[in-house]
Amino acid sequence: MQGPIKDVPASLPQGDLQDQITAGYQSPLGVAGTQSLALREVRLQSGFIFDQVQVCYQTLGKLSARRDNAILVCHALSGTAHVAGLHPQTGRPGWWDYHVGPGKAIDTDKYFVICSNVLGGCEGTTGPLSTNPKTGKPYGMDFPPVTIRDMVAVQAKLVEHLGISRLFAVTGGSMGGMQALAWTVDYPDRVRVCVPIATCVSHSAMQIAFNEIGRRAITTDPNWNEGNYTAGRRPRHGLAVARMIGHVTYLSEYSMTRKFGRALQPRANPAADDEDLFTVESYLHHQGDSFVSRFDPNSYLYLTKALDLFDLCDGKAPEEVLRRVKAHFLVISFASDWLYPPPQSRELVRLLKRSRVAATYINLESLYGHDSFLIENREFAGVLRDYLDNEYRNGRTHQAAAIA
Amino acid sequence: MHPGIYQCVLDWLPDGARVLDLGTGDGAFLERVVQARHVIAEGVEMNPDLVARCIQRGLVVHQGNIMEGLDQYGDQSFDYLLLLGTFQELLSPVDILREAFRVGRRVIIAYTNFAHYRVRLQILLQGRTPVTKSLPQRWYQTANLHFLSILDFREFCRQMNFLTVRDAYFSSRGPAKFLPNLFAEEAVALLEPVNPHHH
Repeated sequence: MQGPIKDVPASLPQGDLQDQITAGYQSPLGVAGTQSLALREVRLQSGFIFDQVQVCYQTLGKLSARRDNAILVCHALSGTAHVAGLHPQTGRPGWWDYHVGPGKAIDTDKYFVICSNVLGGCEGTTGPLSTNPKTGKPYGMDFPPVTIRDMVAVQAKLVEHLGISRLFAVTGGSMGGMQALAWTVDYPDRVRVCVPIATCVSHSAMQIAFNEIGRRAITTDPNWNEGNYTAGRRPRHGLAVARMIGHVTYLSEYSMTRKFGRALQPRANPAADDEDLFTVESYLHHQGDSFVSRFDPNSYLYLTKALDLFDLCDGKAPEEVLRRVKAHFLVISFASDWLYPPPQSRELVRLLKRSRVAATYINLESLYGHDSFLIENREFAGVLRDYLDNEYRNGRTHQAAAIA
Repeated sequence: MHPGIYQCVLDWLPDGARVLDLGTGDGAFLERVVQARHVIAEGVEMNPDLVARCIQRGLVVHQGNIMEGLDQYGDQSFDYLLLLGTFQELLSPVDILREAFRVGRRVIIAYTNFAHYRVRLQILLQGRTPVTKSLPQRWYQTANLHFLSILDFREFCRQMNFLTVRDAYFSSRGPAKFLPNLFAEEAVALLEPVNPHHH
């Protein structure tokens, strides 16, 4: 059920920053790069032990003297450690530059922001593309299965390395939201506030189904070769199709109609006898190709599997699992998100409240589907800012009262 | 709503109580309650713009339609539920109150009295659907679904086995203690089940 369309912006939000042509985009942070950290002895849920895990991360802002202002931002499936600012090599803005920076919803003048590439990823953190020390070749499908909780365990070590015993907040959308949720259960004393966005406690059959179509596209690409592909012969087509499907599920009928309608792509050569191409087709081709150039197909398999297997309560009674949670919650969903529909967020909120966890819930009327948290969105930014700022102020007041 | 009703609610709520405000709007009153009574408070509101205002005030708020139930809350998780000014707009007051007493121990309800003498006179003398200070909107604009009097409400409580612990009546001039069903425009009552242990 969607309310009447109101306040339609004159110019359409530009969508996910990452895969856009971003000439002329200004980030108030300027150029902001990433760093890398080597962690020793990382044990996974499966029992597998890495001798060493490399973690790519970005920090923005300054850690306060009391070390009480750190916000960990967790990225979604296709995200990276590069959350905001312009990338030193590519010049592209970070994936959440709209909402992270000086004066933005997550204000880097006030908070110390951390974002790291997930375990199993392909943008600087150890993943299937990394070299297996035993063989000297990329892990490929020998990479151990990773879970959302494994990703969080690596983040916890990074946070510890940065000298932070307790995060002020952990937040993220979609897969990032799952990580934020896992933090509050696995490290209840190390996070004060949790803001899960457009996420769920576990995937539904529909979400698993879309992921499986993507995985099938990759594994049936002749170049996939049981995961043992070479840089020159990667399953490009499979990954591109996976991304095209994924991308459609991130949009809404409204946003696709607004953005493309039935418009045709202008022909490169008007004289040629080519078939006409709808703009939406051309857009999806571009999205697929651009994704292929930066993402590892095996990584896509591992991360989507981690998403599908995630279950916040791991089959246990929710009240038992959530009883230990100490964080305060702001749960955000979007009315037009049909991939992670609002009832999933409401179910999360129900489980939290019934376990006596303080949870605020808002279902924003954004029309742009699952991607609503990635785009410029004033209502979303306002709610996120107000909640964080109030919680931060209250935390400080309580601390002062406790000392007095 | 009459300011006296808000004052009654503030007077009736004990310090530190757990309070759930149904239809909390922009949260202005709930914020006042929190500041005055140090209650542990939460609001339910269905309009996202108003929910955002509540978040701005630092309140715990849940975006939801109370007509769809309060399933997110466990049994007896609040001491007091507030239903201020929305009671006559609820499609099924019986279901809401059953749910309210599952979630909380006591319920404070404020409502408009449809048997105020001016209302009676407008119907009797003009033959028109009344428009008064407490019923300011015309029949095609009003959100009110039920038109009840104070006597109706009392009978409803008896039938539902609700005990009126406290009540108060107001006209635009102030408290209306004398013949409230005739002279009060608004009413507020604090209810609890007659026998909470058997409820």
